[in-house]
Amino acid sequence: MRRALLVATVCVLALPAQAFAHATLERTSPGFEQRLPVSPRTVTLHFDQYIERLPHAIRLYSARGELAVPRIRDKGRDLVATVPQLRAGGYTIRWHALSGDGHVVSGVFTFGVRAKAPAPTAAFGASGPTRTEDVVRWLYFLSLALLVGGLGFRLLVARRPLPGRFFAIVGFGAFATLNVGIAGFLLRAEDALQLPFGRLLYGDLSPIVRTRFGTAFIAMTLGFAAVAALVFLAWLTDRDVFLWPAFLVGLGFASGLSLSGHSAADAGSSWTSELADWAHLSAAILWIGGLLQLVAVVWPLLPEARRATLLAFSRLATVCVGVLLAAGVYLSILRLPQLDDLWTTGYGQILLVKISLVALAFAWGGLHQLRAVPVVARGGTLPRLRASIAGESMVGMIVLLVAAILVNANPPH
Amino acid sequence: MQPPAEHVHWLFATGVLLLGLCLLAEGVVGTEIWRRRAWRAYLWPGLAFTLGVLMWPVMTFYTNSTIHMLAHGAWAEMLMLAGAVELALVRGKLHSQAWRLTMAAALVVSGLAFLVHEQNSWFFQRSSFLHHLMGWTLLFAAVFPLVRSVRPRSQTAVIGFALTFVVIAVFLYCDRDVAPVFGHISPLAGAPHR
Repeated sequence: MRRALLVATVCVLALPAQAFAHATLERTSPGFEQRLPVSPRTVTLHFDQYIERLPHAIRLYSARGELAVPRIRDKGRDLVATVPQLRAGGYTIRWHALSGDGHVVSGVFTFGVRAKAPAPTAAFGASGPTRTEDVVRWLYFLSLALLVGGLGFRLLVARRPLPGRFFAIVGFGAFATLNVGIAGFLLRAEDALQLPFGRLLYGDLSPIVRTRFGTAFIAMTLGFAAVAALVFLAWLTDRDVFLWPAFLVGLGFASGLSLSGHSAADAGSSWTSELADWAHLSAAILWIGGLLQLVAVVWPLLPEARRATLLAFSRLATVCVGVLLAAGVYLSILRLPQLDDLWTTGYGQILLVKISLVALAFAWGGLHQLRAVPVVARGGTLPRLRASIAGESMVGMIVLLVAAILVNANPPH
Repeated sequence: MQPPAEHVHWLFATGVLLLGLCLLAEGVVGTEIWRRRAWRAYLWPGLAFTLGVLMWPVMTFYTNSTIHMLAHGAWAEMLMLAGAVELALVRGKLHSQAWRLTMAAALVVSGLAFLVHEQNSWFFQRSSFLHHLMGWTLLFAAVFPLVRSVRPRSQTAVIGFALTFVVIAVFLYCDRDVAPVFGHISPLAGAPHR
């Protein structure tokens, strides 16, 4: 029986395989986001294996809606659609085909005729960020605060070994940053591809990966995987030497958000807007991540270090608040050049809410700076100070939620 | 720019094979002798952790479908997690043998990722067969770390655990259609293009 099973296994392994896996789109004509000088006569999709044509295998959209595709034919590994004469503008192609393995593979790409092609994430039919994406973006900010803010607190404020809970929080931050990042990318891909979940599993993500957002996703995933490894090595070996590179790499790769968001892609963006956005984000995660470490690690577990840590943190928080304010004011002026945009546009209204919450957080922090820090500096204690710091960090987290909604909103042009 | 998928499979197959051989050597000579040189204790957990880190580029660069991305992400995280826990046990940062259950959980999740990401039947094609085989192998092999967590000196559990990785490595070497052992291109895939 055993021998028969072994022979059967070897035979199956040696049998000719029917296909490599499901079909993958190798290239297209026009190419992804290609700008054409004249209207193309055909749209061609080339796959890495034979595919079967499904009804409406290629659909063509202009900014105004779907255009009729007179003829679609399959030719070996190619799917070819004859297209009508196209006027100047951006166009979206949505395609699906039956792969050799029986799966329906799908995808989207865009091109332009005498005009810039829209990004695949802004393809016709894509509805833009949803409330779910807002929540995921918020969770991403929180994860960054736990990871990068936690590391910053350990290296810049505490400057001493902290109890194991520090690594538990930072490690959870690394895990969450990686997984929430994946969720955010897939949500954006789902919107661009406009596919139900079952078909999204076989959706071609390569056009999304080639966007600025996709490139940032790749870089940040790889960067934060390295940060996770470094944090683990620091915990395993009890050596600070791994923490500094983890902190610097984490802070550096957080710039992926700034290099792929409004500050990099919108009209009027420049390296200064990208830098300001990154400084704004970095200051926020250092501030909120530090507050969380203060509340969850130092206060309950290191009573002897409360005084020194609170004084050091208040210095860092002052710098963070200054950077937050300066960068925030600069970015606000850049995105809302008219003052009345603040109350007449949706973006401006969200910004007003954010400014109000930031003012509340700053006031709370200022109260700590003026009332609590001098008392603690003299060696005194204040009842409910931990709860008050926790309250400040809660407001900070709500600010991050509004910031997430703001990032996904479109500033007025 | 990117290496062909089969090369990446062979690279990881080699890593998994080394991991399995280290475990097998430890199982054959015994843990005490294996750990006479301290660095050897870190060898296979360190290898597992490194393979997990190296899986992230695979996850991000081979994005021809969502399911590929999710499955490779799951393997990256499970390899890192399992390697990290074993390293911490060796280092003495973790003490309870119950932590070995992490390895069992990692094998179960990895096996499920193989089964979920392969939606064709066993005999549809070679890679389908191997994906099912690897998935079920990992699921059943989860019993070995489970036994190790309650009976750390069980020779059967140690050898079974080691052989799991050796077997998975062989499957990975065979997983692509242009594998050197049973190598050919499928007729459906047309003329060889590599």
